[in-house]
Amino acid sequence: MTTEPAYPADDPRRLLLDTRALAQRARRAQRATWFPLLVLAAVTFAATPVYLYGGYQATCAAVPGAGPLGAPGRVCLAYSDAQLAYWPIALVLAYAAIAAFYIRRSWARGIETRVRPYAMAGIIIAVALTGAAIWEAHSPPVRPDMGLTSLGLRLAAAPVAIGLALLVLAWAERNRALLVLTAAYLAVVLAHFSFGWVIEPGLRWYFVPRLVIDGSILLLGGIGFALAQRPLRSPAP
Amino acid sequence: MTGPAPRAHPANGLNDVVHQRVRLGILTIAHEAPRVEFGYLRTNLELSAGNLSQHLGVLENAGLVTLEKGYAGKRARTWVTITKAGQAALAEEITQLKLLISRIDRAGPPPE
Repeated sequence: MTTEPAYPADDPRRLLLDTRALAQRARRAQRATWFPLLVLAAVTFAATPVYLYGGYQATCAAVPGAGPLGAPGRVCLAYSDAQLAYWPIALVLAYAAIAAFYIRRSWARGIETRVRPYAMAGIIIAVALTGAAIWEAHSPPVRPDMGLTSLGLRLAAAPVAIGLALLVLAWAERNRALLVLTAAYLAVVLAHFSFGWVIEPGLRWYFVPRLVIDGSILLLGGIGFALAQRPLRSPAP
Repeated sequence: MTGPAPRAHPANGLNDVVHQRVRLGILTIAHEAPRVEFGYLRTNLELSAGNLSQHLGVLENAGLVTLEKGYAGKRARTWVTITKAGQAALAEEITQLKLLISRIDRAGPPPE
């Protein structure tokens, strides 16, 4: 006695189901989301000594309305040459390492990933935003709200560059979970959301909450993806 | 006066080269990646090397994939890349399959 399958092999429904399953499996085989997230978390945490010992410079200007009761006053925009040098170098090295990892992995697995657009976008965004930050840091402030946490500096900050490049990775990997994580990361970065943990600007460790929060999102995301994307082992016979 | 021309049956739109389980599988996987290696296809489609080579030959002759031979260390490797024609043929096949399914669903179960 033979049993007929629910759908014969050339049944259109079966063909479509098989096609979807193969596409899903190919996508999963290409993903290594944990690696870039862990590398970028490491780059973020490794910035600590740069923030601590890099020193700060300031560009100051007299700005109408910046003084008490709307009187003219001086506004200073603080920046760090060490940070402006650290981020593009660290990010370019990180993207080179990420690209090398994906290429090695694709040779081992036999299926290539679209990592080039991610690495190229990451490098271009990092360099462009650093250029914007340098330009802004050396342009005298013209409004009273142009301080250390101005929107311009936030937009040109390295975590934004990391987040924008991760959007490209989410597209390249067709990875919805990464898209959600990246959206949350960018929201936290752009809103300067610190979960109530704030250290007064001017104190030596003021940068710690920012680096820890940004780095922790990447780290936890990396660990989560590493667990979700770990190779499935077949049960022991 | 003639009425509107009857719609062609979706089965007529199926491409014989693509409408074959293995070849459809090859195109589907190749569509998902810039390049895919022979060994990956063989494992995931559960085929012998000879059988896969035959199907790849059919797709290559039809201009739907290109094959690139190289080495990884001492190991010979064959990489498969889907062409633009292959992508179009795959998209058309999927469209025709969906049309066919909706037509079957509309027709209901066959009479007893």
